[in-house]
Amino acid sequence: MKIGVYVCECGSNIASTVDVEDLVEQAKEFPYVEVSRVYKYVCSDPGQVLIKQDIEEKQLDRIVVAACSPRMHEPTFRAVLEDMGLNPYVLEIVNIREQVSWVHDDKSKGTAKAASLLKGAVLRASLMHPLERKKVGVTHNALVIGGGIAGIQASLDLADMGFDTTLVEKSATIGGKMSQLDKTFPTLDCSQCILSPKMVDVNRHPNIDLLALSEVVEVDGYVGNFKVKIKKNPSYVLADKCTLCDDCVPVCPVIEHDEYNQGFSPRRAIYIPYPQAVPASYLIDPNSCLGIDPLICSKCKDVCGPEAIDFDMKPEIIEKEVGAIIVATGYEPYPIENIGEYGYGTIPDVISGLDFERIVSASGPTDGTIRRPSDGKIPKTVVFVHCAGSRDPSKHLPYCSKVCCMYATKHALQYKHLVHDGTAINFFIDIRTAGKDYEEFYQRAAEEDQVIYIRGKVSEVFQDGDKILVKGADTLTGETVELHADLVVLATGLMPSAGTKEIASLLNLSVGMNGFIREAHPKLKPVDTAISGVFVAGTATGPKDIPDAVSSASGAASRAAGILAQDELEIEGTVAQVDEDLCRGCGLCAEACPYSAIEINAINKYGHALRVAFVNEALCKGCGSCAAACLNGAINQLGYTDSQILALIGALGEE
Amino acid sequence: MVENKELIKVVEETVSRDDVKYVIGYKRGTYGFQIKPAFAYSAEDAKEFFYSPLCSKNLATYPLLEEKLPLRRGEEAEHKKIGIVVKGCDSRAIIQIIQEKGLEKEDVVLIGIPCKGVIDPKKIAKRFPKQSKFVDVEENNNDEYILEIGGTSHKIPKDELLSDVCKSCEYPNPPLYDILIGEAEEEFQPEHFNRVDELEEKTIEKRWEYWEKHFQNCIRCYACREACPLCYCKTCMADLLEPQWIRRSVNLSENTAWNVMRAFHLAGRCISCGECERSCPVNIPLMELNKFVEKEVKEMFDYTAGLDTEEKPFLGSFRPDDPEDFIS
Repeated sequence: MKIGVYVCECGSNIASTVDVEDLVEQAKEFPYVEVSRVYKYVCSDPGQVLIKQDIEEKQLDRIVVAACSPRMHEPTFRAVLEDMGLNPYVLEIVNIREQVSWVHDDKSKGTAKAASLLKGAVLRASLMHPLERKKVGVTHNALVIGGGIAGIQASLDLADMGFDTTLVEKSATIGGKMSQLDKTFPTLDCSQCILSPKMVDVNRHPNIDLLALSEVVEVDGYVGNFKVKIKKNPSYVLADKCTLCDDCVPVCPVIEHDEYNQGFSPRRAIYIPYPQAVPASYLIDPNSCLGIDPLICSKCKDVCGPEAIDFDMKPEIIEKEVGAIIVATGYEPYPIENIGEYGYGTIPDVISGLDFERIVSASGPTDGTIRRPSDGKIPKTVVFVHCAGSRDPSKHLPYCSKVCCMYATKHALQYKHLVHDGTAINFFIDIRTAGKDYEEFYQRAAEEDQVIYIRGKVSEVFQDGDKILVKGADTLTGETVELHADLVVLATGLMPSAGTKEIASLLNLSVGMNGFIREAHPKLKPVDTAISGVFVAGTATGPKDIPDAVSSASGAASRAAGILAQDELEIEGTVAQVDEDLCRGCGLCAEACPYSAIEINAINKYGHALRVAFVNEALCKGCGSCAAACLNGAINQLGYTDSQILALIGALGEE
Repeated sequence: MVENKELIKVVEETVSRDDVKYVIGYKRGTYGFQIKPAFAYSAEDAKEFFYSPLCSKNLATYPLLEEKLPLRRGEEAEHKKIGIVVKGCDSRAIIQIIQEKGLEKEDVVLIGIPCKGVIDPKKIAKRFPKQSKFVDVEENNNDEYILEIGGTSHKIPKDELLSDVCKSCEYPNPPLYDILIGEAEEEFQPEHFNRVDELEEKTIEKRWEYWEKHFQNCIRCYACREACPLCYCKTCMADLLEPQWIRRSVNLSENTAWNVMRAFHLAGRCISCGECERSCPVNIPLMELNKFVEKEVKEMFDYTAGLDTEEKPFLGSFRPDDPEDFIS
């Protein structure tokens, strides 16, 4: 075995704290070291050439580079080895920059630390074996879970790139929360007007298979080769026969609260969510319909000319094979009834932000005139409470929900535009207007439209006659504020939706403290997840406004396309390996694996069925959790075997 | 109180079942107070079965020692059950093994014995050091052990001979069994495992001194491992050569490595039968280590081993709200 050691000066980055010449001399004494050199920038082209020449002339078969973090240049040096016909995994990188020179001042101690790290690396390298990168095929179809604006955008992008895309939406129509909004900040363009063309595009796109009223119930497989089971719930109306004539609705005897209008208007048990719904079809609410089981009423069926109603429709399971999955399961508003002191749910004229969206909407329950729920009067004083549920680590959501400052400002502005003699008062902790044209929008509301902003938190809200008494503090003047309002709008925070939580647990995605899906890297891989082939778009990772949700969706689509466009995927060679003779089949590794990459399968051992762990190399990320969990060392992490790590520790422990 | 007649009858019935291969229980030994494991392949074999407070041995180790000889082509493995006589802790060992998928519930028939605690063989041997003939011991209702040696009857307070782990036993009745012999014992609130508390009050230096003294004596006979129902890895890490985690030399460093490794490998798994401690020829107080880890696991993660076959193994379960204050 011949090991080549290359110490990088990294300009003065390393050389200032590590005596590189001394390090190189010490390395010459380490076992198997054939050549040891120092160079100013080993990663530079001449530096790479230096290694290549040595590999050729001195027949090196292991390379150790002492430089920066392997996260920086491991791919660079692996390519050098591959160019010279060596296996890319016989390379070891010692991080003497981030872990030595940047964190220490004392040159002699720094050099000593670098020397012991380097010795460990040389000993580890002597135990390295060439590893193989296996290849798997790719199914060129995609699955998008969630039909809000993010899911719609991701589906359209993938479909436009030519990939067959299945869009699964739990409710009866796509459109998500955006479809309930009246106008969007900061441009005040109509939400439904910019959303519905995209919804229509989804419906008629030849590459999109839209499954509404459907849920993903099972996901198997791995990147490039997922097998998905989708449960399609019955709508009890045959979409291809329904002509949307609306004859069934007036005859239905059941009256329910309309979810689309936040319960402020009625709907029947047979209904269409809203006129622009996609897929455009009526459906029957099985919870309240009197015709499903038992069949008491069939008034709608009787009047339906095209015979589109089928009470016997059953849920069906649809199976799909896809290469990549985009999770766009979105958010739901924080249940503000939890904030007892704000009286939501007990005081009728205390409403949520989403309630206000419907009340102000021209297609809403009040036809666009702002009326308060209790008596239908036009409110003359409206208080908007920011951070309702957000930024309250002790009791509610600890984080900033990002959009509330802007939408509360938008609401105040919309109110002022509709009720010219009204007063709009915003209680805020801070105003956060980070976004293009957001600050200008806020300035316009405060200056041109005379929206009043009071810095401080509302402490309590009471019903006082037909008015609402709002108590709070103005933290700028230090005075308590008490005022009477006709309507109070709580700018509700955003939290992960139930669907986000379900899908995260179904796909084994890691979630953060607050239940939002965790990105593979918060900055550099914001739409990837820890599971390869699964991407995330929109508010499933955290609160986002519409432009952010749309751009993350396009990002996720393009990342997914990076997989879907391949015919084969290469898998990293550093995967877990099971020693079947040692494995006792307890499954601790399978429980410890964050990527569901390990299964316990029975093998035939001389006629006996023996349970042993089996690693799916396509799913394995080489994190080593299984190797650590295994009680008798039956799993080894290739590239980081126990023997290699022990050699490393041994060198570090030497005096 | 377990009636031997009833036990024999149950064993006879169990071993006569078509789906049972054999039944493991206890029989009288040939020397002093030592009992022996008994294997009944037929109703006839069951006659020598007995149960008394001397039956400390945890028989849950045996089903896993079952040899699986290579089968000829076309030959099918025999899927017959093994009957085992289990006390509270033995039953918990079986539960823990099932949880770890070492056995399936269908593999065993558990003959449960409500246990009033077992005699520490070391304590009784110390009391009657010259006893060479087998003597059985009975327990009366006055918390006394009664035994007869050479025509003389001895009454010894239970506390003097009882195994230390039994004093803090929370599960005298088998949590899992197919047949229960006699009436279930009353659950009692056990005293805390005082030995751990005493040790915890000492300073780190004193504790280290204490363990150094004991580990110094370890002869690495691995009797603790062999007696433990949960040390059933096919090849123990201590025996691996590549890499060699623990050197074979018997010295303080390697002995410490072995004993600490075993304690960690039993975290969330040890069911406190005390077999390791009773089998240790050099009297290392191993249950102090195990009980300490058990206490930590219980306090930090609210987890108790060997109670539910369906529960996830402790080391394989993770909750986002797990405490992390020990990482610093």
